[in-house]
Amino acid sequence: MPALFELVSVTHRYGRHTALYDVSLTVRCGAMGLVGQNGAGKSTLIHLLLGLIRPTAGAVKTLSHEPGEEATSFRGSVGFMAERESLLPGLKGIEYVALAGRLSGMPRRDAQRRAHETLFYLGLEESRYRAVEHYSVGMKQRLKLAAALVHDPDLLLLDEPTAGLDPDGRAAMLDVLAALAARPGKSLVLSTHLLSDVERICEEAIFLDRGRVVAVGPIGPMRTASVGAYRLRWRGDAAGMLAGLRDRGVEVHASTRPGEARVVVHRDWAPRDFFAAAREANVLLTGLDREEEDLEDVYRRLIGVGARSGGGRNG
Amino acid sequence: MAEMLDQDRERYRGWDSRLQPAWFSIWPIATTGAKLVLRRKLFWLLLGLTLINFLFLFATIYLKAQIRIENPALTRFVDQVLKSVSGTGETFRDFMAAQGTVTMLMLAFGGEVLVGNDYRHGGLTYYLSRRIGRRHYLLGKLLAIAMLVALTTTLPALVLYVEYGLLTDSIVYFQENAGILLGILGYGLLMATALSLVLFAMAAWLQRTVPLVMGWACLFVLLPAVGAILRNVYDDRSWHLLSFWRDIRLLGSWCFGAVPQRDAPLMPGAVAVVAIVCAAALLASIPRVRAFRVVR
Repeated sequence: MPALFELVSVTHRYGRHTALYDVSLTVRCGAMGLVGQNGAGKSTLIHLLLGLIRPTAGAVKTLSHEPGEEATSFRGSVGFMAERESLLPGLKGIEYVALAGRLSGMPRRDAQRRAHETLFYLGLEESRYRAVEHYSVGMKQRLKLAAALVHDPDLLLLDEPTAGLDPDGRAAMLDVLAALAARPGKSLVLSTHLLSDVERICEEAIFLDRGRVVAVGPIGPMRTASVGAYRLRWRGDAAGMLAGLRDRGVEVHASTRPGEARVVVHRDWAPRDFFAAAREANVLLTGLDREEEDLEDVYRRLIGVGARSGGGRNG
Repeated sequence: MAEMLDQDRERYRGWDSRLQPAWFSIWPIATTGAKLVLRRKLFWLLLGLTLINFLFLFATIYLKAQIRIENPALTRFVDQVLKSVSGTGETFRDFMAAQGTVTMLMLAFGGEVLVGNDYRHGGLTYYLSRRIGRRHYLLGKLLAIAMLVALTTTLPALVLYVEYGLLTDSIVYFQENAGILLGILGYGLLMATALSLVLFAMAAWLQRTVPLVMGWACLFVLLPAVGAILRNVYDDRSWHLLSFWRDIRLLGSWCFGAVPQRDAPLMPGAVAVVAIVCAAALLASIPRVRAFRVVR
């Protein structure tokens, strides 16, 4: 299977500011999340993949093409949805999408027909003859997606597609993206700081932090590789048991609920050790649930920010 | 909405066909730009002004032809009174220069829509993330401006030229005045090129209408006024070269083979000024054609 994109020792600087440090990646087809905080280098990476900028050092290949050299040929296979507004005030929705098709190399009639189809597909058929500046935020996002999708690209690069959307609009957008990600033979790169979006759409993710790749690969194994965290419940006074756990190197985070705590254990710890500690302190354990890391925990762990303390989600 | 999307998703179909070369994108960029300007009411007001001048000349040519046929005795008198409508190169040069004045106003107010909005609303990213390069975008925008210039100057001048020929000596007029046709095309091309380059550069940097109009006024009103004052102070006609519009007009006169005797020595200077301004505008435009804004 050919690589979707390949970066070899890529560094990119804007003047003195280094946006990407020595990034090397090879990504195969599929739905890939690009995760990082603001300023992590996500947009720079997408601009490099599109050939809008050239790396200060290193080499980039997108769909087996060098974007800088062959931008006008390979972009026919790429659709890009920008984070910023990127609208042309004065144009109607249908004209905006049809123009995107023509700029992507489609003949006039095909572009026009596909623009109607795409707007219909994204639920904008009622408003396609309205000027784009009169669209709501959610409609603008879908319009930008339509413009990225009109020429049926092999690779969709989406930069913060759910930014500014209300919960309903976000859910609808994620539904569409999930369907697009499932198209056979097509790939999608979803750049976002909203980890739940990546969790919903992508099978794999690239985690960026201050211009460096901190992890890349399937999301599932990243979760299972988590440090063991448990939700512990008991009946009675457990001060002795908790002190004993702390003595054995277990992190104990008190919960807001009585008779409950979140504990993080070290690698050699086995669940039966909880029962041993409870027996020693004469405490009855009523619950022991393994807490599964979500992507946010994975991300926090990867970039070295402390995990969220007790009183968390699984209580 | 989610239900609607669910239904629509089933209708999604792929598309697969041969893509056209990137050069084919220049035309849609140009027509879209022109369309955006044509949708503004102010444009139609200014177009109306250019139409008044055109219709006046059109009617005058027709009137002269009618008088020549119906009352040949009056022909000489009419020719004397309407000297400026003689079907010579000067007639068309002056007409195009007059049209150009309104065209300049139109461009000053249209620059934001044509180019400035691409910077203010991220349209540049929209264009440059597609299957085109910076040169295609630049050429498309320049063509859009050139089309508007041609619409108000070259095209009506060509119509008047054809009208004059058809209503006078027909084939003989066209045969003897083929140079006028070349003059119209040459002057039109010159105006379109110079104005499109300067407008693009100014609009790419200034973006909004008010600063754009002010910059435009500096180039086409203030500088010529300063030139006129200095010409009077130093009694040197070379100061007229500060007027960019006058320089273009002088080159236009050359296209028609009608350079006034007193301006002939200024020709090399006018060529240099127009070339330098166009080159500077092009150089100023290139770094502005970037697809993204750096966020730190």
